[in-house]
Amino acid sequence: MKPDFKGPIPGANLLADPRKYPWHRPPEIVEYDEAVDYMLNKISEDEQSELIYSLLQIDINIPTVVSSMLMQAISRGKIPIDLAVLIAGPMARYIEIIAKMEGYKYDMGLDESDRIKVTPTLLKQALGIIDNEETEDPMQEGPIAAPAEIPMGGLMGGIPEEEGIAPEDEQAAMLGLNVEEDTDGLA
Amino acid sequence: MKFQDAVKKSIKAFVDGKMPKTLMEMKAEEGLMFTPDYFDELEASLVEEKGSSKKSKKKEEPEYEA
Repeated sequence: MKPDFKGPIPGANLLADPRKYPWHRPPEIVEYDEAVDYMLNKISEDEQSELIYSLLQIDINIPTVVSSMLMQAISRGKIPIDLAVLIAGPMARYIEIIAKMEGYKYDMGLDESDRIKVTPTLLKQALGIIDNEETEDPMQEGPIAAPAEIPMGGLMGGIPEEEGIAPEDEQAAMLGLNVEEDTDGLA
Repeated sequence: MKFQDAVKKSIKAFVDGKMPKTLMEMKAEEGLMFTPDYFDELEASLVEEKGSSKKSKKKEEPEYEA
């Protein structure tokens, strides 16, 4: 087997250009007010605002929208990550105000009471693991009542009365009582 | 902590009217613009503006008699 030299050389990352990606370079905006102003202008752009308010209509909460916008700005090297966390509040508040004014449905996503607690049962139900039989407690069911009529026929069915007891001859034959032993050969 | 959790925490603090200590110091020294108060005032002014525009629209509409 020939060795494969197509893989990366160990330590190659240490020799790579650190300015390859935008987030490797110093960010363009480092001031709080400037960053908020930049993001609010972004939100006010037609395409962005249409997208944001459409996302809110499909029950996506404001923190999710804000964090995706911030991630985009970070990946483009516009703002650093720590400043992004700081300006999340003003952005969310601005989106909330506009949504309120325009009558759009919105969710701030900060209320913990609305949160559905993840439990093993819920998880099993979501994954379709639980069967209906498992959900019922067998201890609560009580004894199984005997059916009023015994079903006849079939492999597990009852034996009809007339066929229930074999005649005496048949019973004797089954027990081997009426068979005469052949003693000729032994004598 | 995930980035989204940090964003959520930041939003919650801002909505409650809180700002990080260093930013508060900056606010006192340099005078920050986008504070929780700024957005409260913005909201109030927009509500007022909307209310006044509704009233003026009602006035403009002619009244029809049956």
